[in-house]
Amino acid sequence: MDKTILIVEDQDDLRLLVRLSLKSLGRILLASSAAQGLELVRAERPDLVTLDVWLGKGDSGLDVCRAIKSDPATAHVKVLLLSACGQQSDVEAGLEAGADHYMIKPFSPQSLGEAAAALLAAA
Amino acid sequence: MLASPLHPEEAHRLQVLRDLNILDTAPEERFDRITRMAARLFEVPVALVSLIDADRQWFKSRLGVPFAETTRADSFCTHTILQDGVMVVEDATCDPRFVDSPYVTVAGARFYAGYPLTAPDGSRIGTICVLDREPRALDDAGRELLRDLAGMVTNEIAAAELRRVHARRSENDAWLYGLLQHIPDGVLMLDRGGSVICGNPAAEHMFGSDTGGLAGRLACALLGEDAALLLDPQHDSEAPPQEGGGHRLDGSTFPIEVKVAPMCMDGQQRYAVIVRDVTRQHELTLRSRATEERRRKHFTTATHELRTPMASILGFSELLLKRDFDADTNRELLDIIHRQASRLVDLINQMLDLARIEAGGTEGLNIGTVNVTELVEQTLSGLNGLGQNHRIHTELEADLPPIAADPLKMQQALTNIVSNAIKYSSEGTRIDISTAALHRNAKLMVAIRVADRGIGMTPEQQARIFDAFYRAGDSQGVQGSGLGMTIFKEIIELHGGHADIESRPGAGTAVTVWLPALPDHG
Repeated sequence: MDKTILIVEDQDDLRLLVRLSLKSLGRILLASSAAQGLELVRAERPDLVTLDVWLGKGDSGLDVCRAIKSDPATAHVKVLLLSACGQQSDVEAGLEAGADHYMIKPFSPQSLGEAAAALLAAA
Repeated sequence: MLASPLHPEEAHRLQVLRDLNILDTAPEERFDRITRMAARLFEVPVALVSLIDADRQWFKSRLGVPFAETTRADSFCTHTILQDGVMVVEDATCDPRFVDSPYVTVAGARFYAGYPLTAPDGSRIGTICVLDREPRALDDAGRELLRDLAGMVTNEIAAAELRRVHARRSENDAWLYGLLQHIPDGVLMLDRGGSVICGNPAAEHMFGSDTGGLAGRLACALLGEDAALLLDPQHDSEAPPQEGGGHRLDGSTFPIEVKVAPMCMDGQQRYAVIVRDVTRQHELTLRSRATEERRRKHFTTATHELRTPMASILGFSELLLKRDFDADTNRELLDIIHRQASRLVDLINQMLDLARIEAGGTEGLNIGTVNVTELVEQTLSGLNGLGQNHRIHTELEADLPPIAADPLKMQQALTNIVSNAIKYSSEGTRIDISTAALHRNAKLMVAIRVADRGIGMTPEQQARIFDAFYRAGDSQGVQGSGLGMTIFKEIIELHGGHADIESRPGAGTAVTVWLPALPDHG
């Protein structure tokens, strides 16, 4: 069965980069804001969400992650945080929010693809 | 002639004599009256109060002698201070000690009777003596009389010393009183139960009390319970100061540092307390913590901002290297890489610029007299490349006073606000730049106003406009580092100016820069 991946990223260029990195792994959905992302998670029940942490306009990917993981209907959805915040405390905060994986920008598209594939295999 | 012997405790004796501060002082009636009495009672031409210094005898009071001092070597009195009681020389020409003395051979002295004078500690400091040109004897009544006169002189010396000690003590008291009145730290004296006995004006001021208003109050009510725990007779007064909260009489609190020293006064347990109001130090600590926090946040944000374009550059170049795309996609990805690399360079340049301006402070400015009209015109000619100058309308007041400014930095600041006006308003809309000289808070200021009819800002966005890397709204389509307004504010403030911002979403934004005019203009 084809897997569904939702990419939540407010920067156009990076949304394209993640899409190109992951397109071979399944169906791709795109969101550019926290609200749009959550809406799509609830409607489409993707297998994996890649989530930017700073979503602009003060929105936080960590809040989106918590919302996904605290809702029993979506708690099983794998979350991969992608962030330019690279300190140990940022990574810990991401994992505490329930993320399954934390990747620091800049990242290698190949590594992102491998990490996403591993999460999808476990989904 | 025989050499004059020295007193066994000569050094101490001399010290005591000098400490009395009597040598070489003016004649005093209270001593002269005694020598006059001695001369009359003994019917002699010479009576002296003689003080024996290291190498002279100096006369505090003298009758019948024309000089104030003589050498000590041949003197009678040097011998007198070596013995108890009266020393009598009935006929000096028959005494081998004095037969060759110039007092005898030149001055013609034959008879001498002297009695040692003692300082309050018993040291022999000199004599009272009488001399005659005829040999004679001294009976017991005469000896007693001389002893009594010596007692009177000794009393006078002791009384003078007493007066001097007393004067010194009141001088000390005045000094201490003045010190306590003016010392900026609060000083309290507490009784054994921790009640205030007295406090200095600084303590009264600190706790908001009238003069004397602290007396009787409990230390724990003023200094807090923690500080009251220091009131222990065994407390180590060398211990570091205890921090706590002070309570003013009006109920308000303030941070204090307290040091306590247990003491004993007239057999009573007391505590000396120093209280220091550390409000200012606390504020400084808080401010430096806030600065530290701001720096940390700035660093985190800067890192984030640098990593974002790097993610595009690294990611897309890897994709281009590893995958095959059609020509259009190849071109699109290269375009993104190029755009993000330019952004990265722009960011780094702006960050370095901000860091340089912050680090240089006012010393980094190259201040000169700047004509504001020329400044605006140079700024606009620098922005020509954006191809938007046709939208800009200027209304520059003639004969503006000049300002003291670094022309290049000021041009950079203006460029940042004018380019924002261009970037955040649509093609074809008008941008107005006007200048004026106006009084603000009684100071002549030059105002430069840049107003656009662009997207404007909400009050929340306005509040953050000077934050580093903050970019208003959905600004993805707008080029920029997010540091322009931070650099602008830094430059304006270094020049002693400030900026006002008026903005409404959809209506546009106006930034007014206020800079002090040079005072000697016109």
